[in-house]
Amino acid sequence: MIKKNFIGFLLTLIIFISISSFVWWFTYNPVKDLTASVPGLDNRPPRDESNEIVNIGERFDEYSTLSSNLTGKWTRFRGADYDNINKENIPLIDNWGDGPKIEWTVDLGEGHAAPVIYNGKVYILDYNELRKRDALRCFSLKTGEELWRRSYNVHVKRNHGMSRTVPAINEKYILTIGPRCHVMCTDPNNGDLLWGIDLVKEYNTEIPFWYTGQCPMIDGDLAILAPGGTSLIIAVDLATGKVVWETLNPDNWQMSHSSIMPMTLNGKKMYVYAAVGGICGISAEGDDRGKILWKTIDFSPTVVAPSPLILDNGNIFMTAGYGAGAILFNVAENNGAYSVKVIQKYIPKDGIGSEQQTPLLFNGRMFAILPKDAGGMRNQFVCCDPNDGKNILWTSGKEDRFGLGPYAIADGKFFILNDDGTLTIAKASTERFIFLDKAKIIDGMDAWGPLAFADGYLIMRDSKTMVCLNIMKD
Amino acid sequence: MAKEKKKNLPIQKVGLNRRGFIDRGFRFSIGFALAGLVGVLAKKSFSKEYVWQLDPEKCIQCGRCATECIMTPSAVKCFHVYDKCGYCDLCGGYFRPEAKKLTTAAENQLCPTSAIERRFIEEPFFEYHIIEELCNGCGKCVKGCGAFGNGSLQLQVNHRLCDNCNECAIARVCPADAFERVPADKAYKFSGITKDEEKES
Repeated sequence: MIKKNFIGFLLTLIIFISISSFVWWFTYNPVKDLTASVPGLDNRPPRDESNEIVNIGERFDEYSTLSSNLTGKWTRFRGADYDNINKENIPLIDNWGDGPKIEWTVDLGEGHAAPVIYNGKVYILDYNELRKRDALRCFSLKTGEELWRRSYNVHVKRNHGMSRTVPAINEKYILTIGPRCHVMCTDPNNGDLLWGIDLVKEYNTEIPFWYTGQCPMIDGDLAILAPGGTSLIIAVDLATGKVVWETLNPDNWQMSHSSIMPMTLNGKKMYVYAAVGGICGISAEGDDRGKILWKTIDFSPTVVAPSPLILDNGNIFMTAGYGAGAILFNVAENNGAYSVKVIQKYIPKDGIGSEQQTPLLFNGRMFAILPKDAGGMRNQFVCCDPNDGKNILWTSGKEDRFGLGPYAIADGKFFILNDDGTLTIAKASTERFIFLDKAKIIDGMDAWGPLAFADGYLIMRDSKTMVCLNIMKD
Repeated sequence: MAKEKKKNLPIQKVGLNRRGFIDRGFRFSIGFALAGLVGVLAKKSFSKEYVWQLDPEKCIQCGRCATECIMTPSAVKCFHVYDKCGYCDLCGGYFRPEAKKLTTAAENQLCPTSAIERRFIEEPFFEYHIIEELCNGCGKCVKGCGAFGNGSLQLQVNHRLCDNCNECAIARVCPADAFERVPADKAYKFSGITKDEEKES
């Protein structure tokens, strides 16, 4: 009897334990302490499209007049031929001698915008932090005296600088894009406002991170702009501000920091643009102007700052920072049909690339400063065959490293600006890095704005100061 | 009477009686204890103890800190030097380079353990906060921040967690020789900030 009771008790206990275990197992949630990483955890509110009314070019202030006999020109981002090479026949210095000859300095709003130079005048789209205005400022190249400024109120918050574009200029027009995508066309001779376009309002453009970096293009009588948004590329009549043609944006590519570059393939002129989303070629002439001739999504990083480098035979080199690396591809035409073929694509440590500046092409070689994520050769000035970016031919070496600053060629020399305002001169050799001299021009930081050369003067800037150097050889 | 008797006892020239011995023993003990205490305090005040720390300038973010430390998870953690941070929307330490959208979705995050918290401040600025319990010291965020940003994310030995082994297991294998002994009163070695700022942080 006792045994029977014991067995009954034991069975009851086993059943109880089994049921309890099952209930525990069934209800236990081993991931209850985990939090799902889903969008929105940063509490970012929906984007508030600003209702700020911006009257582009509303203000004009004249300070002085100037008649100059200087004729030098640096008319746009990377100069007249889009190659960052100054072709004036003026002998320039090989070394800094007793020190740099600083002709004048001007305080600017924080940023990386750079000037153009035209017949003795310097034009730069600055941001006036005190008044909160985009301001196209005109200076005398010789003295640095400010002649006039055309400005408009627009609220821009400090975000790794504010201004970061280079105007485009010809005899009759100067074209600018402000940090928040306000396009302004002005008469460079007297500062008269001609027209303006708010790309965000007109084309639903998404302002890029750290504001607009695209430098506008003037092609004949047209302004060529890449708004992204509802239109990928637009052409605007410089005289009237009316849109002549536009390219729709079926893939919803966005505006990048890259600028439009011209290309001619088998006699066909086109515009090459690296958007956030992909790279495309747009017809620039004929009945099909504005038509997308070819496009590729083989290289589509989130941030694109350098511009496409147009090589021979339809080859195009494109690079970007933030781990993107570079791509070399070929565009071929066959009976009016275009095709794209990738030749090389690699990560930063495997070949030539750049984070911000567009590489240089000179005497059949390509030059760039490698980004910080390029392994052992990071921040070195390097040279390669443009058709084989993976094969670095030479570098500036471990002792000569640079930052995100600009580099250009003038009078057979490289002028390389470091972040801290140190300007290096090196012989423009394709054989090896031949250092000539260097000097600290400004005691500053983030000297990333492109260089401008004209009439033996070099204009450079750091984040807050613009400097004009006399680099003529005595 | 007894008192008088005691008074008249002849003085015996003996070394030390028991009471005196105990009394003197106590005095010496207290004296030694006080001297010892003073000595220990003086040593604490004037002599330097050393702890392990890694130099962010030398660190190459190889990932060994996460796997070689005797602590699980590693006592090496990511620290955020806020003074250096750009408070970027597109943070190279938070987002994977190929991230298509700048949201907190897991597929966009660089950190394998979601140990970085991203908080909106105002357009377009964000603050990045390290969740110490989740950080395993792999250094992926440090590499991203250094390559694309200001380098405000830095690996450091967290001395609340470190056992301060005589021979640090990570130091033995560190390929950059970034580990070194530093005075315990200056136990952290941040890069790019002043001494005063370091003291505050």
